[in-house]
Amino acid sequence: MAARGLLLASIYLSLLMHECYGVTLFSSLQKTLQVTTTTKRGQVLKAGEDKVTITWGLNQSLAAGTDSAYKTVKVQLCFAPVSQKDRAWRKTEDHLNKDKTCSFKIVEKPYNKSLQTLDWIIESDVPTATYFVRAYALNAERHEVAYGQSTNDQKTTNLFDIQAITGRHASLDIASVCFSVFSIVALFGFFFHEKRKARMSQQK
Amino acid sequence: MADTENTPGNSMHGVSAKEKAFAFSVASPIMPTDPIAKFKLPVDSEHKAKVFKIFSLASPHMTTFHLSWLSFFTCFVSTFAAAPLVPIIRDNLNLIKTDIGNAGIASVSGSIFSRLVMGAVCDLLGPRYGCAFLIMLSAPTVFSMVFVSSARGYIAARFMIGFSLATFVSCQYWMSTMFNGKIIGLVNGTAAGWGNMGGGITQLLMPFIYELIRRAGATPFTAWRIAFFAPGCLHVIMGILVLTLGQDLPDGNLNTLQKKGDVPKDKFPKVLWYAITNYRTWIFVLLYGMSLGIELTIDNVIAEYFFDRFNLKLHTAGVIAATFGMANIFARPLGGLMSDMAARPFGMRGRLWNLYIVQTLGGIFCICLGRASTLPLSILSMILFSITTQAACGATFGIIPFISRRSLGVISGLTGAGGNFGSGLTQLLFFTSSRHSTATGISLMGIMIVCCTFPVALVHFPQWGSMFLPATKDSEKSKEEYYYGAEWNEEEKQRGLHHGSLKFAENSRSERGKRVGSDPTPISATPAPV
Repeated sequence: MAARGLLLASIYLSLLMHECYGVTLFSSLQKTLQVTTTTKRGQVLKAGEDKVTITWGLNQSLAAGTDSAYKTVKVQLCFAPVSQKDRAWRKTEDHLNKDKTCSFKIVEKPYNKSLQTLDWIIESDVPTATYFVRAYALNAERHEVAYGQSTNDQKTTNLFDIQAITGRHASLDIASVCFSVFSIVALFGFFFHEKRKARMSQQK
Repeated sequence: MADTENTPGNSMHGVSAKEKAFAFSVASPIMPTDPIAKFKLPVDSEHKAKVFKIFSLASPHMTTFHLSWLSFFTCFVSTFAAAPLVPIIRDNLNLIKTDIGNAGIASVSGSIFSRLVMGAVCDLLGPRYGCAFLIMLSAPTVFSMVFVSSARGYIAARFMIGFSLATFVSCQYWMSTMFNGKIIGLVNGTAAGWGNMGGGITQLLMPFIYELIRRAGATPFTAWRIAFFAPGCLHVIMGILVLTLGQDLPDGNLNTLQKKGDVPKDKFPKVLWYAITNYRTWIFVLLYGMSLGIELTIDNVIAEYFFDRFNLKLHTAGVIAATFGMANIFARPLGGLMSDMAARPFGMRGRLWNLYIVQTLGGIFCICLGRASTLPLSILSMILFSITTQAACGATFGIIPFISRRSLGVISGLTGAGGNFGSGLTQLLFFTSSRHSTATGISLMGIMIVCCTFPVALVHFPQWGSMFLPATKDSEKSKEEYYYGAEWNEEEKQRGLHHGSLKFAENSRSERGKRVGSDPTPISATPAPV
């Protein structure tokens, strides 16, 4: 009886602890990764066409064993503060579950001790904004335990701009004009046709 | 039975207080059926239908009902089509919160003006052409979303699409030409409610179409543009159906009948004067802004709110947002029905209290919605909020027909415009600036609803009373004939133009509630047939 109670209590407690671990705060993460990008200041990259070369890896000057818990690395495209202004849907929050700073996943790979590089072609659904790149190191439970980013802590250096695609196509424009013209012509066609019919029946 | 009807002073309507003001049908002998007319539904002497058979397509009455509410529904779908897609559009066009807020305001502002004009258009061209012209001329504005590439273009497109909401007026006008006055309340309430439902269906429809197009291979920033072809095509299809299947009046089309002299005309300046000098008009303009206006505002902001606050997927947020607008299918008619049920024992005072209670509850649930921080509580608050606010819309139009008989059209138009104005104002005050979050905006809006519903207490009818005051004891002013007769001057009365109002006054005695039996009905000249 007591054993069962103890078992239940320990399960409950471990669930609670799991809950606590589930709420990861950004401020609790260690900045152990190094991330660099090949972008230049003032350069405007086009979504869907241009590429960014991203390099990430563990900061070599740290003690060995720092990365013992790292299992996967998630590299993300993040909004710079200037692109978050007046846009509450991109707000930075300390709770990583609620944080909207990094909305676009670039790549997720198993953790490797050596430096990793990726030539990333910017996807077509990336909006026009100013960005930096951040990499999160995840442990076996897929919780963030460390990070690194291509900019400084104030997010002011080494930012780059991306220009989104317009989403417009010539074929869509033409179809839109055709449908609109049809609507107007059909309306006035009916109107004048009925007027003519009424006039003809009056003349009879 | 036959010898008691139509004898002066012997009208039994309202005496037992059991007669419904809102009914599915009008029983003969209250309104005699025209035996000669060959229509599928029983009609009165004007050939207006006396029965409301919702699932019938009987021409011309029920066909008109379905064409009418479907056109209005289509315009609601296209006006709010952008709202559930805002999370995609804001990234494509690089919008800030102010741009999104301004677009929402623009979408409801255009029809403030167009609703006022539509009444005149219906008079000149008939409701069939009024509806068809508006819906087919606004189809290009829906298709123009394909071209939009900046915040300004987006705001302009939404402004122009919003003009189409004036189909509310053509819808209600068309119903009143086809259905007898005693059932017009329910008919209009159902048509308006089902039309308003478009604002809810669009939150489901647009993300669904967007998702289909995306799966077919389009990129997000192209897919949302293609999705707008759906509401655009609906406009064109409905316009053609209205032109081919619709007719203005039970007997034919307007231009034919006007030449015969069957349709009399009142003077517009007079009608306008009596509308704007009646203080009750302006109180209801404010009140409707706090019920319909809020409904339109929520149609614009709720999908984005759920998407952002609870991290939901686009179509999940759309489903939740849709339940808000879809409650209209029963909530608005329910509000009208509750108004009638309150009127049976308490008359107009019951209607006013019903409106006050229901609209205030709407405000309270709005405050709860803004403050709810878990998803289940938020959804529950939203559902209760939607039912009470939409019931308030229905309850409002349970009272409006009694404010004036002569200027009913203009007052309805002004009230409708007030609804849109309320929407624009609340979006401007609470959802455009970055100073506070959307959740705070919703709560503040709820407080505004509660405060701005107090003026219901100021609406006083001398013959029926108000929320806190009973009917006046003055023997002359306590008659309905005095109130409705006051809208005509002596010269017009001598020409007999006010007979319609007198007949209406007699029928409106049911608004006294249980007191009806104690007041003697006045001996008046036999009213001319309407």
